[in-house]
Amino acid sequence: MSSQLFSQERYLTKEGYISFFSHSLVEDIKADNYQVLSVIDKKTGEIAIQLLMKSFMFEKALMQEHFNQSYVESYKYPKATFKGYILNLKELDVQNGTVEIKGILSLHGKEKKISTIANIQILKDQINLSGHFMVEVADFDIKIPIVVRNNIAKTIKITFDLKHKPYK
Amino acid sequence: MVLIIISLFFIINLYNKPFIDIKKSNPELEVTAQEILDDYLADEYSANEKYVDNLIQIKGEIAEISFDKGVSIITLKDRSGFSSIICHMLPEANLNVLKLKKGSQITIKGVCTGYLFDIMMVRCILTNSNFNEK
Repeated sequence: MSSQLFSQERYLTKEGYISFFSHSLVEDIKADNYQVLSVIDKKTGEIAIQLLMKSFMFEKALMQEHFNQSYVESYKYPKATFKGYILNLKELDVQNGTVEIKGILSLHGKEKKISTIANIQILKDQINLSGHFMVEVADFDIKIPIVVRNNIAKTIKITFDLKHKPYK
Repeated sequence: MVLIIISLFFIINLYNKPFIDIKKSNPELEVTAQEILDDYLADEYSANEKYVDNLIQIKGEIAEISFDKGVSIITLKDRSGFSSIICHMLPEANLNVLKLKKGSQITIKGVCTGYLFDIMMVRCILTNSNFNEK
Protein backbone atom coordinates (compact mmCIF):
# COMPACT_ATOMS: atom_id res chain seq x y z
CA MET A 1 0.00 0.00 0.00
CA SER A 2 1.01 3.65 -0.17
CA SER A 3 3.57 3.27 2.56
CA GLN A 4 4.58 6.94 2.72
CA LEU A 5 1.03 7.89 3.59
CA PHE A 6 0.78 5.84 6.73
CA SER A 7 2.89 5.82 9.88
CA GLN A 8 3.90 2.87 12.02
CA GLU A 9 0.61 2.73 13.87
CA ARG A 10 -1.37 1.16 11.07
CA TYR A 11 -4.35 -1.06 11.62
CA LEU A 12 -5.74 -3.14 8.80
CA THR A 13 -8.48 -5.54 7.81
CA LYS A 14 -8.97 -7.46 4.59
CA GLU A 15 -12.21 -9.02 5.79
CA GLY A 16 -14.25 -5.92 6.52
CA TYR A 17 -18.00 -5.92 6.00
CA ILE A 18 -20.00 -3.38 4.02
CA SER A 19 -23.57 -3.84 2.87
CA PHE A 20 -26.15 -1.76 1.14
CA PHE A 21 -29.87 -1.83 1.51
CA SER A 22 -32.58 -0.46 -0.72
CA HIS A 23 -36.16 -0.36 0.48
CA SER A 24 -39.07 0.21 -1.88
CA LEU A 25 -42.73 -0.70 -1.89
CA VAL A 26 -42.05 -3.36 -4.52
CA GLU A 27 -39.09 -5.11 -2.91
CA ASP A 28 -36.17 -4.85 -0.51
CA ILE A 29 -32.74 -5.39 -1.99
CA LYS A 30 -29.68 -6.15 0.11
CA ALA A 31 -26.14 -7.01 -0.84
CA ASP A 32 -23.24 -8.00 1.40
CA ASN A 33 -19.53 -7.59 0.86
CA TYR A 34 -17.20 -9.41 3.28
CA GLN A 35 -13.98 -8.63 1.40
CA VAL A 36 -13.48 -5.00 2.30
CA LEU A 37 -9.93 -3.70 2.69
CA SER A 38 -9.57 -0.92 5.26
CA VAL A 39 -6.50 0.75 6.76
CA ILE A 40 -6.44 3.16 9.70
CA ASP A 41 -3.49 5.23 10.83
CA LYS A 42 -4.02 5.61 14.55
CA LYS A 43 -1.60 8.52 14.79
CA THR A 44 -3.13 10.73 12.11
CA GLY A 45 -6.66 9.35 12.04
CA GLU A 46 -6.35 8.71 8.34
CA ILE A 47 -8.61 5.99 6.94
CA ALA A 48 -8.58 4.36 3.49
CA ILE A 49 -11.17 1.82 2.40
CA GLN A 50 -11.35 -0.14 -0.83
CA LEU A 51 -13.75 -2.75 -2.08
CA LEU A 52 -14.55 -4.66 -5.23
CA MET A 53 -18.04 -4.10 -6.62
CA LYS A 54 -18.11 -7.73 -7.77
CA SER A 55 -17.72 -8.89 -4.17
CA PHE A 56 -21.24 -7.70 -3.32
CA MET A 57 -23.34 -10.84 -2.91
CA PHE A 58 -27.06 -10.60 -3.63
CA GLU A 59 -29.87 -12.94 -2.79
CA LYS A 60 -30.77 -13.32 -6.45
CA ALA A 61 -28.35 -13.97 -9.31
CA LEU A 62 -30.28 -11.70 -11.65
CA MET A 63 -30.05 -8.72 -9.26
CA GLN A 64 -26.31 -9.22 -9.00
CA GLU A 65 -26.01 -9.33 -12.79
CA HIS A 66 -28.02 -6.16 -13.31
CA PHE A 67 -26.15 -4.36 -10.55
CA ASN A 68 -22.74 -5.13 -12.04
CA GLN A 69 -23.57 -4.86 -15.73
CA SER A 70 -26.08 -2.03 -15.95
CA TYR A 71 -26.02 0.07 -12.79
CA VAL A 72 -22.49 0.37 -11.42
CA GLU A 73 -20.76 -0.95 -14.59
CA SER A 74 -18.21 -3.00 -12.65
CA TYR A 75 -16.23 -3.91 -15.76
CA LYS A 76 -15.41 -0.19 -16.15
CA TYR A 77 -15.31 0.76 -12.46
CA PRO A 78 -14.35 -2.41 -10.56
CA LYS A 79 -13.58 -0.67 -7.23
CA ALA A 80 -15.16 1.77 -4.83
CA THR A 81 -12.92 3.71 -2.46
CA PHE A 82 -13.25 5.95 0.56
CA LYS A 83 -10.42 8.18 1.72
CA GLY A 84 -10.76 10.39 4.73
CA TYR A 85 -10.12 11.10 8.38
CA ILE A 86 -11.45 9.94 11.70
CA LEU A 87 -11.66 13.25 13.51
CA ASN A 88 -10.15 13.61 16.98
CA LEU A 89 -9.04 9.98 17.09
CA LYS A 90 -5.97 10.89 19.13
CA GLU A 91 -7.95 12.76 21.78
CA LEU A 92 -10.33 9.88 22.24
CA ASP A 93 -9.60 8.54 25.73
CA VAL A 94 -12.37 5.98 26.03
CA GLN A 95 -12.52 2.43 24.75
CA ASN A 96 -16.00 2.76 23.34
CA GLY A 97 -17.28 5.94 21.82
CA THR A 98 -18.45 7.69 18.73
CA VAL A 99 -16.34 9.54 16.21
CA GLU A 100 -16.97 11.66 13.19
CA ILE A 101 -15.56 10.45 9.88
CA LYS A 102 -15.17 12.79 6.91
CA GLY A 103 -13.92 11.96 3.48
CA ILE A 104 -14.52 11.30 -0.19
CA LEU A 105 -16.39 8.29 -1.52
CA SER A 106 -15.52 7.34 -5.11
CA LEU A 107 -17.91 5.05 -6.91
CA HIS A 108 -18.85 4.58 -10.56
CA GLY A 109 -16.29 7.23 -11.53
CA LYS A 110 -17.97 9.91 -9.37
CA GLU A 111 -16.80 11.47 -6.11
CA LYS A 112 -18.92 12.61 -3.21
CA LYS A 113 -18.09 14.10 0.18
CA ILE A 114 -19.32 11.95 3.04
CA SER A 115 -19.59 12.85 6.69
CA THR A 116 -20.88 10.33 9.19
CA ILE A 117 -20.85 9.34 12.84
CA ALA A 118 -19.44 5.91 13.63
CA ASN A 119 -19.13 3.73 16.69
CA ILE A 120 -15.55 3.10 17.60
CA GLN A 121 -14.05 0.50 19.88
CA ILE A 122 -10.37 0.71 20.66
CA LEU A 123 -8.91 -2.43 22.19
CA LYS A 124 -5.32 -3.45 22.84
CA ASP A 125 -4.80 -4.93 19.41
CA GLN A 126 -7.96 -4.02 17.57
CA ILE A 127 -9.82 -0.96 16.31
CA ASN A 128 -13.45 -1.56 15.39
CA LEU A 129 -15.55 0.89 13.41
CA SER A 130 -19.21 0.40 12.71
CA GLY A 131 -22.18 2.47 11.63
CA HIS A 132 -24.24 3.47 8.66
CA PHE A 133 -24.93 6.39 6.37
CA MET A 134 -27.18 7.19 3.43
CA VAL A 135 -26.20 7.94 -0.16
CA GLU A 136 -28.25 9.23 -3.08
CA VAL A 137 -28.17 7.00 -6.15
CA ALA A 138 -28.34 10.11 -8.36
CA ASP A 139 -25.08 11.50 -6.90
CA PHE A 140 -23.13 8.72 -8.54
CA ASP A 141 -24.62 8.99 -12.01
CA ILE A 142 -26.19 5.55 -11.73
CA LYS A 143 -28.99 5.17 -14.23
CA ILE A 144 -31.92 3.01 -13.25
CA PRO A 145 -34.22 1.96 -16.13
CA ILE A 146 -37.80 3.25 -15.88
CA VAL A 147 -39.22 -0.29 -15.73
CA VAL A 148 -37.55 -1.01 -12.40
CA ARG A 149 -37.49 2.55 -11.07
CA ASN A 150 -40.08 1.65 -8.45
CA ASN A 151 -38.06 -1.37 -7.32
CA ILE A 152 -34.99 0.59 -6.28
CA ALA A 153 -34.87 3.30 -3.64
CA LYS A 154 -33.45 6.75 -4.45
CA THR A 155 -31.57 6.72 -1.16
CA ILE A 156 -29.49 3.69 -0.25
CA LYS A 157 -28.39 2.76 3.26
CA ILE A 158 -24.75 1.76 3.57
CA THR A 159 -23.76 -0.25 6.66
CA PHE A 160 -20.17 -0.90 7.68
CA ASP A 161 -18.45 -3.08 10.25
CA LEU A 162 -14.67 -3.00 10.09
CA LYS A 163 -12.47 -4.82 12.59
CA HIS A 164 -8.87 -3.71 12.16
CA LYS A 165 -5.84 -5.52 13.52
CA PRO A 166 -2.31 -4.13 13.86
CA TYR A 167 -0.47 -4.26 10.55
CA LYS A 168 2.96 -5.85 10.76
CA MET B 1 -54.54 -15.98 -21.65
CA VAL B 2 -52.31 -19.03 -22.09
CA LEU B 3 -49.68 -16.79 -23.59
CA ILE B 4 -49.79 -14.52 -20.56
CA ILE B 5 -49.40 -17.45 -18.19
CA ILE B 6 -46.50 -18.83 -20.21
CA SER B 7 -44.72 -15.51 -20.40
CA LEU B 8 -45.36 -14.90 -16.71
CA PHE B 9 -43.84 -18.28 -15.98
CA PHE B 10 -40.72 -17.35 -17.92
CA ILE B 11 -40.43 -13.96 -16.27
CA ILE B 12 -40.67 -15.49 -12.79
CA ASN B 13 -38.19 -18.17 -13.79
CA LEU B 14 -35.75 -15.57 -15.05
CA TYR B 15 -36.24 -13.46 -11.91
CA ASN B 16 -35.42 -16.48 -9.76
CA LYS B 17 -32.58 -17.63 -11.97
CA PRO B 18 -30.20 -19.48 -9.66
CA PHE B 19 -26.51 -18.79 -9.15
CA ILE B 20 -24.13 -21.10 -10.97
CA ASP B 21 -23.76 -24.42 -9.14
CA ILE B 22 -20.09 -24.34 -8.17
CA LYS B 23 -19.99 -28.01 -7.25
CA LYS B 24 -21.46 -29.38 -10.46
CA SER B 25 -19.95 -26.94 -12.93
CA ASN B 26 -16.62 -27.49 -14.60
CA PRO B 27 -14.07 -24.72 -14.11
CA GLU B 28 -13.41 -22.51 -17.11
CA LEU B 29 -9.75 -22.18 -16.10
CA GLU B 30 -7.35 -24.28 -14.06
CA VAL B 31 -4.29 -22.53 -12.69
CA THR B 32 -1.75 -22.67 -9.90
CA ALA B 33 -1.69 -19.95 -7.22
CA GLN B 34 1.59 -18.70 -8.66
CA GLU B 35 0.21 -18.44 -12.21
CA ILE B 36 -2.79 -16.31 -11.30
CA LEU B 37 -0.72 -14.11 -8.97
CA ASP B 38 1.88 -13.58 -11.71
CA ASP B 39 -0.90 -12.60 -14.12
CA TYR B 40 -2.25 -10.05 -11.64
CA LEU B 41 1.13 -8.58 -10.77
CA ALA B 42 1.94 -8.23 -14.49
CA ASP B 43 -1.27 -6.45 -15.51
CA GLU B 44 -4.34 -6.14 -13.32
CA TYR B 45 -6.61 -5.00 -16.14
CA SER B 46 -5.99 -7.92 -18.49
CA ALA B 47 -5.98 -10.36 -15.56
CA ASN B 48 -9.45 -9.08 -14.63
CA GLU B 49 -10.61 -9.75 -18.20
CA LYS B 50 -9.27 -13.27 -17.95
CA TYR B 51 -10.43 -14.25 -14.45
CA VAL B 52 -13.19 -12.05 -12.99
CA ASP B 53 -16.65 -13.65 -12.95
CA ASN B 54 -15.23 -16.94 -14.17
CA LEU B 55 -15.35 -20.19 -12.30
CA ILE B 56 -11.71 -21.03 -11.75
CA GLN B 57 -9.81 -23.80 -10.07
CA ILE B 58 -6.63 -22.89 -8.20
CA LYS B 59 -4.00 -25.21 -6.82
CA GLY B 60 -1.81 -23.81 -4.07
CA GLU B 61 -0.38 -23.93 -0.57
CA ILE B 62 -2.44 -22.87 2.44
CA ALA B 63 -0.95 -19.84 4.21
CA GLU B 64 -3.80 -19.32 6.65
CA ILE B 65 -7.23 -20.60 7.63
CA SER B 66 -9.66 -18.39 9.53
CA PHE B 67 -13.31 -18.39 10.51
CA ASP B 68 -15.43 -15.27 10.64
CA LYS B 69 -19.22 -15.12 11.17
CA GLY B 70 -19.61 -18.79 10.25
CA VAL B 71 -17.66 -18.38 7.03
CA SER B 72 -14.28 -19.98 6.55
CA ILE B 73 -11.57 -18.13 4.71
CA ILE B 74 -8.55 -19.87 3.19
CA THR B 75 -5.55 -17.83 2.12
CA LEU B 76 -3.27 -19.29 -0.53
CA LYS B 77 0.22 -17.86 -0.75
CA ASP B 78 2.81 -17.43 -3.43
CA ARG B 79 6.58 -17.76 -3.16
CA SER B 80 7.35 -14.05 -2.79
CA GLY B 81 4.79 -13.61 -0.02
CA PHE B 82 3.73 -10.12 -1.14
CA SER B 83 0.29 -10.98 -2.47
CA SER B 84 -1.98 -13.87 -1.68
CA ILE B 85 -5.29 -15.34 -2.78
CA ILE B 86 -8.11 -14.88 -0.27
CA CYS B 87 -10.83 -17.49 -0.75
CA HIS B 88 -14.18 -17.05 0.99
CA MET B 89 -15.67 -20.52 1.24
CA LEU B 90 -19.32 -21.50 0.90
CA PRO B 91 -20.79 -22.67 4.25
CA GLU B 92 -21.08 -26.22 2.88
CA ALA B 93 -17.27 -26.36 2.72
CA ASN B 94 -16.82 -25.67 6.46
CA LEU B 95 -16.63 -29.29 7.58
CA ASN B 96 -13.96 -30.11 5.02
CA VAL B 97 -12.02 -26.95 5.84
CA LEU B 98 -11.67 -28.20 9.43
CA LYS B 99 -9.66 -31.16 8.11
CA LEU B 100 -7.10 -28.92 6.44
CA LYS B 101 -3.76 -27.76 7.78
CA LYS B 102 -1.51 -24.79 7.12
CA GLY B 103 1.13 -25.60 4.54
CA SER B 104 -0.72 -28.36 2.73
CA GLN B 105 -1.44 -28.29 -0.98
CA ILE B 106 -5.09 -27.95 -1.93
CA THR B 107 -7.29 -27.29 -4.92
CA ILE B 108 -10.07 -24.72 -4.60
CA LYS B 109 -12.87 -23.97 -7.05
CA GLY B 110 -14.66 -20.62 -6.93
CA VAL B 111 -15.46 -17.30 -8.56
CA CYS B 112 -12.87 -14.53 -8.84
CA THR B 113 -14.08 -11.00 -8.02
CA GLY B 114 -10.84 -9.11 -8.67
CA TYR B 115 -7.74 -7.71 -6.99
CA LEU B 116 -7.32 -5.62 -3.83
CA PHE B 117 -3.57 -6.12 -3.24
CA ASP B 118 -4.71 -9.73 -2.92
CA ILE B 119 -6.77 -11.79 -5.31
CA MET B 120 -10.33 -12.12 -4.01
CA MET B 121 -12.37 -15.28 -4.49
CA VAL B 122 -15.99 -15.88 -3.45
CA ARG B 123 -18.32 -18.87 -3.22
CA CYS B 124 -15.42 -21.33 -3.07
CA ILE B 125 -15.50 -25.06 -2.43
CA LEU B 126 -12.77 -27.65 -2.04
CA THR B 127 -12.56 -30.08 -4.93
CA ASN B 128 -12.79 -33.80 -4.28
CA SER B 129 -9.17 -34.35 -5.22
CA ASN B 130 -8.18 -32.90 -1.81
CA PHE B 131 -9.54 -35.90 0.04
CA ASN B 132 -9.18 -38.81 -2.37
CA GLU B 133 -5.50 -39.19 -1.63
CA LYS B 134 -6.01 -39.91 2.06
